[in-house]
Amino acid sequence: MATITTAQFRKGIFIEFKDEPHQIVDMQFVNPGKGGAFIRTKLKSVKSGRVQDFTFKSGESAVEVMVETHEMQYLYKEGESYVFMDNRSYEQYQIPKPMLGDFISFLKPNDVYQVLIHGDDAIGIRFPKKVYLKVTEAEEGARGNTVSGGGTKLVTVETGLKISVPLFIKSGDTVAIDPETGEYLERA
Amino acid sequence: MKTWQKLRKNPDLWDRYFIREKVITAIRTFFGNQGFHEVETPLLTGSLPPESYVDVFETTLLDRHRKPTRAFLPTSPEPFLKKLLVAGIGNCFSITKSFRNTESQSKTHNPEFTILEWYRVGATYTDIMKDCEELLLFINTYLLRSKAAKGVIDTKTLMYQGKKVSLSSPWERMTITQAFKKYAKLNLEFALTEEKLLPIAKEKGYAIGKNDNWEEVFLQIFLNEVEPHLGRGKPTIVYDYPVILAALSKKKKSDPRLAERFEFYIEGLELGDAYSELTDWKEQKERFESEERERIQLGKISHPIDTDFIDALKVGMPETGGIAVGVDRLIMLFADVSNIADTLFFPAADLFEK
Repeated sequence: MATITTAQFRKGIFIEFKDEPHQIVDMQFVNPGKGGAFIRTKLKSVKSGRVQDFTFKSGESAVEVMVETHEMQYLYKEGESYVFMDNRSYEQYQIPKPMLGDFISFLKPNDVYQVLIHGDDAIGIRFPKKVYLKVTEAEEGARGNTVSGGGTKLVTVETGLKISVPLFIKSGDTVAIDPETGEYLERA
Repeated sequence: MKTWQKLRKNPDLWDRYFIREKVITAIRTFFGNQGFHEVETPLLTGSLPPESYVDVFETTLLDRHRKPTRAFLPTSPEPFLKKLLVAGIGNCFSITKSFRNTESQSKTHNPEFTILEWYRVGATYTDIMKDCEELLLFINTYLLRSKAAKGVIDTKTLMYQGKKVSLSSPWERMTITQAFKKYAKLNLEFALTEEKLLPIAKEKGYAIGKNDNWEEVFLQIFLNEVEPHLGRGKPTIVYDYPVILAALSKKKKSDPRLAERFEFYIEGLELGDAYSELTDWKEQKERFESEERERIQLGKISHPIDTDFIDALKVGMPETGGIAVGVDRLIMLFADVSNIADTLFFPAADLFEK
């Protein structure tokens, strides 16, 4: 536990809010005029996954909740939870769906992720900047396979997700995707 | 990816970005039709009206001997337009760039932004409320005119982020006191001092520090409990602010603790800030001095004060209602995007590498 101020707020960190750990999932600075600056946050409860808005005064303090990161392999989905295994202890952890949010459409069995641990519970994962997924279904580019040409098409990747990619991407290619925006980044 | 690259990759995006030129054309037509003069105001100036909360951009003007003079990018066209009102221009407006520093990390701010200000001579803030209702309806009708010709579109409504908004007048109007009563269950009339407001906020569960002042606490409650309810399904005009929050507006005759100021909101976006303009030069000078003291206290760069503005007010500014509207936010609304960067061909993020 450490007391921090809003200056140290970052997306992804965990803070105590109303006596419960919450993750900062989004933050925005607002400066509505006379009366100082504020930080608008979206806080996700680690217990319920419920997201609520709260606006802090700039400079207000909060208690940061320390989380550990363990490398774990994603195994399978069980009901509304996702099961991961610690590569060192072989212990299994379940992460409830709300804590993974949109990232569930990028999860690939057997891949290794940075899982966040608070106390005895897995409370989420540290989202990577890029995820690499194989294209399983793609139509041939209708307007020619030029690298520089504009235009996009929809392809399906191995997790079942559909994304928009340039025309030159073929079935079997591996593409890098930004999991935050779901946007195609590059051909790997 | 830079915006130009996104556009090249996905030409369908052009239509969304072209909303900007259409909205601006509609604004010009709206005021042109009513005989308003459009004024070009400076983007480089030697002095500014002091505003305690604004961080300004500074640069240097050199003469031919390279002798430096401090120069600033304006935070609004207001002082220029008001000087012209004193000179006798009559009804006027300006669509121009303004600059505010330290406001870049947000979906509703860009360090340079396009601002629309208009001033109606002989008017008060209630006339400006009507202008807002008519202007937004005019823009919406202009944008939908080709579809409306086919007779299937309701030009009085728009869709924003999946929500239907009715622009028909009258919009919802509530005083800030009513808004606090309704949404924060707080009687603002009995909480106009720090001694009254701070314990109430503490009771509500806010962390109150030693240095917290009335404005900060007021705004924190407003942002958390009131603002999220404003402009839902219909624009909301919130009016009659405590004087402390209305640096350039006239006090209400019926209650001098309040000022004739309003803001309007649509689906959580704060779009405009209007006043019955302060015309009393003595009071303006006092407010300038207190803003300046606050700037120094907050450690903001001190800049030369626009004393020419006070001189102009001494000559006499006509009774005027005026407003500043964030044009980029207006475009966000009509282009149905939630990030100001999606209305700009060159958002700050494309221009300044992290």
